[in-house]
This record gives sequence, structure tokens and C-alpha cells, in this order.
Amino acid sequence: MSRSSSLKITRVGLLGLLAPSVAIYTFVIIVPLALSFYYSLTDWVGGPTKNYIGFRNYSLLVHDSLFWHSFKNNMIILALTLIIQMSLAFLLTTLFMSKALRLKELHRTVIFFPVVLSAVVVGFVWQMIYSHDYGILNSILRSIGLESAIRPWLDDPKIVIYSVTVPLIWQYLGIPLMIFVSAVHGIPKDIYESCELDGCTGFKKARYITFPLIYDTIKVVVMLCISSNMLVFSHIYVMTGGGPGTSSMVMAQYAYKTSFGSMQLGYGSAVTIGMFVISFGIVLIFKRLAEVRV
Amino acid sequence: MTVRMLLGKSGKLVFNAMMLAFSVACVFPIAWIVYSSLKTKDEFMLNSVSLPHRLQFHNYYKAFVDGKMYQYFISSALNTVTTVVVVVFLSFCVAYALSRFRFKWRNGIYSYFIVGMLIPVYGLIVPLYLQFKQFGLYDKFYTLFLPYIAIRLPLPIFLLESFIRTVPAELDEAAHMDGASTSYLMTRILLPICKPAIATIVILTFLDTWNEFPFSLVLVSQESLKTLPVGLTNFYGQFTSDYTTLMAAMVLSILPVMAVYLAFYKNIIQGMTAGAVKG
Repeated sequence: MSRSSSLKITRVGLLGLLAPSVAIYTFVIIVPLALSFYYSLTDWVGGPTKNYIGFRNYSLLVHDSLFWHSFKNNMIILALTLIIQMSLAFLLTTLFMSKALRLKELHRTVIFFPVVLSAVVVGFVWQMIYSHDYGILNSILRSIGLESAIRPWLDDPKIVIYSVTVPLIWQYLGIPLMIFVSAVHGIPKDIYESCELDGCTGFKKARYITFPLIYDTIKVVVMLCISSNMLVFSHIYVMTGGGPGTSSMVMAQYAYKTSFGSMQLGYGSAVTIGMFVISFGIVLIFKRLAEVRV
Repeated sequence: MTVRMLLGKSGKLVFNAMMLAFSVACVFPIAWIVYSSLKTKDEFMLNSVSLPHRLQFHNYYKAFVDGKMYQYFISSALNTVTTVVVVVFLSFCVAYALSRFRFKWRNGIYSYFIVGMLIPVYGLIVPLYLQFKQFGLYDKFYTLFLPYIAIRLPLPIFLLESFIRTVPAELDEAAHMDGASTSYLMTRILLPICKPAIATIVILTFLDTWNEFPFSLVLVSQESLKTLPVGLTNFYGQFTSDYTTLMAAMVLSILPVMAVYLAFYKNIIQGMTAGAVKG
């Protein structure tokens, strides 16, 4: 950097390079954030008048059982995704490290593929999989004689939240997996070799070497997982729209519904801000907790 | 699963077979959609799991022409191409300025953009909708360009800035001494050097924009401006019981993504995961 200062550029030149990006970025990302906070302090319902009502929307939000119900659903999705996706990714990573595994390239290409699909397509694919008469899930259950296990997967309020979580786990499994695999590749081979000399086997290697050494990477993956799952929207919008009733409602869907369904724009903005605060809060809490070393 | 078991030949075979079964299970949902889209409606109703007896592409014709998928296709292509081109151009300009010059606001501007990677942008759909309505930007052919470009900017700036830093500044100086203008230096010398980083940016921006749903859902309402993901949800309402046509529509919408993935999966996997390992 020290030498680069000998390069000259005019103020106008610099402005020309930076200004368009700063302007468009400010207009689309920063301004809406600020406006959203402003609207959340009003009683706007889409008409020409909006009155400043202070933090009344927020005190409503705190006592809004539907909001907390949506939050609980987000937490169920998050917990299931964390537990199932992480353990599956970790297990697969240890398998990927094994010399006995053939066709690694194929496996990784295939497992990662759903990541690049759009959430809408994934939502529809799974809606068809769950379909009562034509879905492959029920076909498989019928063919192995488990007809009694057949459920209205997306229409039963008791299980719908689990049904909508499976596609999320399936679609994004490739991300933690590939992150773990490349982190493990970064671990020097001689550590494993000396450990093997000491009589270490598969599980112990994973528990006492791989896990501690990629701990920082796991933290990053968990944080990615938290922030994406707190804001999940498209999959659920497509599969159930939050239904039946409100049984698969999540925070982002609720913000959408209050704003566009019933035009409570002031309150909808408060829901959006509340959702931001909660998901940032959870990321921060996790960060604090994760500082304790294993 | 012990090492000893894996060492045995049959153990290895079982292990590989299990892994293969897992991978097949992972991709089966997509394969099912693809081959079912080649069946007739009656064939599908009769047995929804079996392979097609005879390949027929009638569903594709129906989806593309009767279902007006071509409209959504054009709109998605227009939005994606514009976004990719503008994002590459803008991020290259910003990255060049940030990596090569020292000025008062340099660190501030850099952080300002990087923060954008932490903001959960889909929480912005409601306020952005209100803002676009007020500024008269709602439902125009250029409406989606703005959010698409803005939300894709931070990552390319981050990638290109660190890439240009690895290119010695002496190169710029030498070019200047030979009388090259800044624009010549940027487009003829630096740009070709940045090709690998730009390739990753083009691919990732393409995928993100092609698949984007929430902004397109709320910011445009004319049929001709809707992108493929929103088009698919409309389509679903219209052809609810016609599974095979729906499947053909879905396959059509993921064909470009599949092609890009198969051609560049190494760059894609690396680009989407590399940042996390360093922490």
C-alpha cells in the first residue's frame, strides 16, 4: 500500500468510481432500514395519513401471541436444522476423509447440487413429494408396507412444521459439508499419523482431533445457519403459506402477511424490525456462548 | 464403524454402496421431477414413480407456450444479464479505488459495503416496497435492477478488492509511465488479470439473481415483468392438478442453473464455501 500512494487520481475520478455504487447501495439497503424503523413508530395502514404513535406497535408486538408462535416455529426449524444438518455434515465429512471412499467427486457434486436451486423450485418439488396421491413419499411407504405411516404431511397442523423443515435440511446440507471438508483438508496430515501411532481410531480421531481443530469453522457455520433460518421465507410461502391456519407461520411470513395481507404497514414494519433484533440477538448470544472452548 | 471393518474388501464395498445410496437419495427428488415431466398426465396418474414408457415433450410445449413460461424466461434473463454486467462493472470500479488509493473515507466506505453482507436483506421487502411505491419506481421494467444490483454488490467488492491487492502496484506505475490512462490501465491491464475472480463473481451473481424470489414477488405486478420463480407460483395456481406440466415448467426454470452448475461446480462450491474456513 505504501507505494501505491505514488499513483495519482483526481477527486472527480475517485468520486466517479465510488459514487454510483454507494448511491444505489444506500438507496436499496440503508434507506429502507431507516424508513422501516420510522414507519414502525406510526399507525400507518396504507392510507394518506400516518400518525406518530411512539413505541405502541412494539408493546403490541411483545404481547402478540401470533408473533411469538411464529418465533417458536423459527426456533423449531433452527434447532432441527442445526442438530440434523450439522451431525449429518460432520458424519459425512469423516466419511469423505476415508481413503476407502470412491467417487468422491461425484458424491460432492450430487450432494451440493440442491444448494444452487431456487427456494421456490425446492418448495414445489417437496410439495409434490408430500402429495397424498402422487407423491413419492407415500408411494415408498406403500411399497414397503407402511401404509399406516401415511399422513397429510403438509395439512396436519401437528406435523407440518417438521415437514417444512426437511426440505431446508436437504437443500442446504452441501454448504456445511463442503465447508467442513475444506477445513479438515487444512489439518496437517502428520497430526493424524502420530495419533494413529498412539492407537487412535475413527471416532476418537473425530472427537479429539478433527472437532477441536475445526471448532472455529463450526462456529461460523452455526452462525450462517442461525441467520438464514431466522429469515426463512420462500420455501414456506410456496409449500404452505404459513398454514394450515397459522401452524407453519414463521416470522418473515408473518411480517409479509401483516403488511401485504391486511395492509397494517406500521405494524408490519415493527414485526420486521423485531425479527431483525431477535435474529441479531440470537447470533450475538451464540457468539458469547461459543467463546467457551471445548 | 471401525477402521478394521473398513479395511476388509467386503466392508469397503458395503461402505461405498451405502454412500452411493445416500447420494442417489439426495438427488432423487430432482431426478423424479425431470423424468416425470417426460410422461403423459395419464401415465403419471397411473403410476407416479415409474420411468416414462416413451419420451414425449408435450408438457414442455404446454408449459412454455400455453403457460406463457417464455414470458417469465425473458424477464428473468433480462434481469439476470443486466445485474451481472452492472455488478461486475460497479464492483470492479469500487474495488480498484479502494485497493489502489488512500483517501480519507477509504476504510469507512469499505466497511459500509461489507456490513451489507451481514444485513438480512430479505427482511427489507416490506420497507423497500413502500419506498418504491413512494418514489414511483414500482412495477417498471427496471424496478428489479436496483435491489438485485445493490444486494449483490458487497461480496464482489470484497472478493475483487482483495484480489487487486495481490497484484503489485508497480504494474500500475509502469503502465502510467508508459503513458497509459487510468481507464486504459483498468480495462486493458487489470481487468484481464482479474479474470478468475470475475468468473466466480459472474457465476455466483447469475445463480443468486436467477433464483431470487421475495423482491420479485412484491416489487412488480405486471405479468410481463415477473421473473421465473414468481411465474412458477402463478403457474401453480393455474395448473394445480396438472402435475406433469408443472414439472416441465420447473425443469425449464432450472435448466440454465443445471448447465452452469455442471460446467462450473468447482468454482461454485469453492466460491460459496471458501470464505467460512478462514473465519
